[in-house]
Amino acid sequence: MIRPAEIRPATAGPPDPAPAAERRPGPEPAPRGGTLARQRRRLFIPFVGPALLLYSVLFIAPIGAAVWISLHNWAGSGPMTWAGLRNYTRLFHDDLFTQSLRNTLELLFVVGAAVFAISFALTLILRDMAGRKAVRAVIFFPHLVNALVYGVLVGFLFNPDGLANSLLAHLGIHSPPQWLAQDNLFPLIMVTMTWMTTGYFTTILMAGVDRIPVSYYEDCALAGAGPLQRLRYVILPLTWDVFGVCAVLWTISSVKIFEIVWIFGGSSGNGIPPTKTWTSAVYTYATAFSGDSVPSYGAATASAILSLLLVTVLVVLLRRLMRREAVEF
Amino acid sequence: MTSSLSAPRSGRRLRRRRGPGPLGGRGPLRTAGVAVTWLFVGANIAGLIWLVLQAFRDTRSILASPWGLPRSLSPHNFVHAWTDSGFGRAAVNSVLVTGISSVLTVAVAAPAAYWLARQDTRLSRGLTLFFVLGLGVPVQVILIPLFVMLNRVYLTDSLIGLNLVYIGVSLPFTVFLLTGFFRSLPKELEEAAALDGVSPAATFWRIMLPIARGGIVTALVLQVIAHWNETLLALTLLQSTDKYTLPIALISFVQQQTYSGADWGGLFAGLSIVVLPMLAVYIWLGRRLTEGLTLGMGK
Repeated sequence: MIRPAEIRPATAGPPDPAPAAERRPGPEPAPRGGTLARQRRRLFIPFVGPALLLYSVLFIAPIGAAVWISLHNWAGSGPMTWAGLRNYTRLFHDDLFTQSLRNTLELLFVVGAAVFAISFALTLILRDMAGRKAVRAVIFFPHLVNALVYGVLVGFLFNPDGLANSLLAHLGIHSPPQWLAQDNLFPLIMVTMTWMTTGYFTTILMAGVDRIPVSYYEDCALAGAGPLQRLRYVILPLTWDVFGVCAVLWTISSVKIFEIVWIFGGSSGNGIPPTKTWTSAVYTYATAFSGDSVPSYGAATASAILSLLLVTVLVVLLRRLMRREAVEF
Repeated sequence: MTSSLSAPRSGRRLRRRRGPGPLGGRGPLRTAGVAVTWLFVGANIAGLIWLVLQAFRDTRSILASPWGLPRSLSPHNFVHAWTDSGFGRAAVNSVLVTGISSVLTVAVAAPAAYWLARQDTRLSRGLTLFFVLGLGVPVQVILIPLFVMLNRVYLTDSLIGLNLVYIGVSLPFTVFLLTGFFRSLPKELEEAAALDGVSPAATFWRIMLPIARGGIVTALVLQVIAHWNETLLALTLLQSTDKYTLPIALISFVQQQTYSGADWGGLFAGLSIVVLPMLAVYIWLGRRLTEGLTLGMGK
């Protein structure tokens, strides 16, 4: 990988005398001489090479392969036959897939909206609450815990002999609802996801709100702005970019949700969760590896590629939507 | 309308004197909000304590009185989970995979991030973007191709294969985080080193790495957490019980209960083995973690 700059004849001179120019954004700076810059560029292969190689082989190449596999009928071994886009069109006639996709979208939008509403409210409450650091430290921790743990715990909580029912029995309710009936599983998963993720996003939003200088609030007070006006004209505009980042992060992570669903219905036999709770990640895994039927790698990767498209479209839309003039402060 | 006009211009007291917001001040809405917040915090702590306590009780008494306390601190469940249910072997595997892959990820990503942070050419900008784009790819996209690829070279059902996969998958985030971090470091030291005739490679090893230690430790710990908890790839790539990592051992334990009857005591011991190391890491390096995870998101 020799770039033109590297084969340029060496211009003798002092080590790059213009560091300021290097920091300049914008169009590519004119190639500079200077042995230092040249030496540094020569480090490309030892420094960036290994990362680039591993990333290309273990990440980028598989993405390409996924596109390729999704255009074929393939059971993992044996012949691959060309299917064109049929895997994709078939997916939309597959009730299981549409159910999984609907669940993923519900997680993305419903849980996303709940997490943001709660996180933002928490941020406003915590902004001047005693013990805010302790609160933040505690509510952040669930982000570090495997979602499997929450799946099992909630399973026990709503077990017929579990905590919820024993609490209700104390309150005199002896015919509690069937918490873990098939229809209730997915709403429970959504509530659990909200519980787990709120703390993480609160931490990020708090970091954004904390950057706002106090003098802005004082200005508001002088101008006689009410609390809602202050929210509308100071807090929201100045944390808008943080909201954008959070929305992108949630979009990316919600499409991958797998563990909690996988274990939630774990006790319902043969290791596969009830199909009503499937997300598109579960669909991909189960279609390829569940072992019950002939694995269909084509359909499985096609559904994964569709989730990649979903993420791409949403992230591009979000960036468009959230793009405003950055408020410098 | 109160204001903080009279408050001193600096100092901690100012924070609390910002005056009422929609959820600030002293309204009933705010009181309720504060109460709910503490309830949420309390429930989180209580849940964790409850989990660890139940791990010391046997299944029958857990089911009989789920609110009860252990009568003794007998580690029976832990011993049982560790030896008979495969959590011991899985814990060793998890420690190995997590440790090796996290160290290697950072070792590979740090020089790359340094180079990308210090060059401002079309190539370096393009490559930075190339790495960042990986952040948006859901892992299920590469699941099947990785399985097929590794199968061809006999690296499925192998911890070496899993290590490799973890390194590849973690590179986008680690490079992204460390590039931002190296950009925030001053350039003056490198320039001084260059004037003294230190080669750029030596500058990186002897000067930049020591300064960057904070950021590198943060990146390392974030990888430790991610790899310790990673489930989907391990579930796909590992097949034999003696290769299982902790999340997979946990899943297989839960699935066995379908046939052998619920063993909640053992299960809670298993959950504790998964959670407590993360708690230890968090207590040890908590602030750095929160900062790393939020600082990386700033831009």
